[in-house]
Amino acid sequence: MRTSPIRDLLAARGARFEERAGVEVPLVFSTFEEEYAAVREGVGLSDLSFCFRYEVPEEGLDLLEQYAAGPVANIRFGRVLHTLAADDEGMIEADLYVANDDETLLLIGEGLVPDASTAATLDGLGAADAGLKDISGSTALFALDGFNAWAVAKDLFGADVLGLPYLSIETYELDGVELKLIRGGKTSEFGYQLLVPAESAATIWERLEQAGAAHGLKPVGLEAHEALRLDGRFFNVHAEGAKVRDPLPLGLQWMIDIDGDDFRGKEAILARREAGLLKKIIGVAPVDADGPLAAGDAITHDGETVAEVVTASFSPTLGHRIGLALFDVAYAYAGLELEGADGKGIRTVSLPPFIPKSLTIKLDEM
Amino acid sequence: MKDEMRKKIEERAAVLEVIKKDLITRLNLPYEPEDLHEDVSLLGSGLGLDSLDALEVILGIEHSFGVKIADDNIAVLRSINSIADHVLETRAAEEVSS
Repeated sequence: MRTSPIRDLLAARGARFEERAGVEVPLVFSTFEEEYAAVREGVGLSDLSFCFRYEVPEEGLDLLEQYAAGPVANIRFGRVLHTLAADDEGMIEADLYVANDDETLLLIGEGLVPDASTAATLDGLGAADAGLKDISGSTALFALDGFNAWAVAKDLFGADVLGLPYLSIETYELDGVELKLIRGGKTSEFGYQLLVPAESAATIWERLEQAGAAHGLKPVGLEAHEALRLDGRFFNVHAEGAKVRDPLPLGLQWMIDIDGDDFRGKEAILARREAGLLKKIIGVAPVDADGPLAAGDAITHDGETVAEVVTASFSPTLGHRIGLALFDVAYAYAGLELEGADGKGIRTVSLPPFIPKSLTIKLDEM
Repeated sequence: MKDEMRKKIEERAAVLEVIKKDLITRLNLPYEPEDLHEDVSLLGSGLGLDSLDALEVILGIEHSFGVKIADDNIAVLRSINSIADHVLETRAAEEVSS
């Protein structure tokens, strides 16, 4: 099982771990409530080293085009593409960031399959000839997410970091260590991801803790991240991705270059698109704030099952549970009242359901 | 399906169809209406529209539905669904007041 380069440090901070697809992920450090609040009100520091990472030279562009579903060749210098990788059947295997970092591309993925399977797929596409380098073990990937994340980034890297557009990459130096900083995240609040050399990872983590102390920084695990993703309707490959697998009912067409070059699984995806959608993911919430909502619940109308809940969790911001359900397309609309578990009311809702605090702050207030 | 539910769905579906077609035409998006999930984020992640695109979207909503969006009401532009919510709520409020 692949573990983080700073596993011992994370354990010392109280991390409890879980294995996902052969990789160990830090699930929670203190409590879900505390970590969720840290991101909404302060800063969350997370170790995302469970994501696989590859360095791809220019010669590997063709390979990436075959592996990733999005328009990789169109990524401008300094920008990052959010896309996905599919298998031969067009079912999701990984949620991807592809960054154009000068002469190299960076591939960062959160996968449903073991590292060895991803490596075999890339090998099959010609990874060795293209010079792809697996840097999952030689680097660590951290994330600063939260309403105050910008303040920590500004303290560490200077005011120009505030001008980085969403989904961009830049090189910085911190205490003599060169690192890549990606402006991006899946929490709805300010987010920065830092790719650092494994040998300096523990030092950088402690430096981030030190810089964030005045801004309410706390270590945050994947459990809080998953609730934050659901709140913001960010795709979660481990939840709805793992349950549904097909990108079309999940509404991920925006990650796919439909009219572009061929990629793995494209033929199957286009065939399903041509046939038309039968099911679709829609946001759901209980009518009563304390009402039940759990993955696997059937949703009915007039005695007929019209949907199944595929993921759900409690949203502290909303004060009730929220989820995603896979609906028959005839019922796949927000604004309806249906019946859920034990006959309790379920409403379909527009997501994301609120404006995060980070969108309310202006650049001249930073 | 009960009549009340059918009516609600038909009204929302009609609004969504207009919004999607308008987005695709105005912004020259490489999609069919069925490709656009109603919750896809319009700004930032998702379709990644910029501020000029957002202005086009606002103009489209005003033109198609006669519904205004205040300059400081960015919440409406979260997604296609949030635009539909705004249109339907405005219509309902107008019906009550008339």
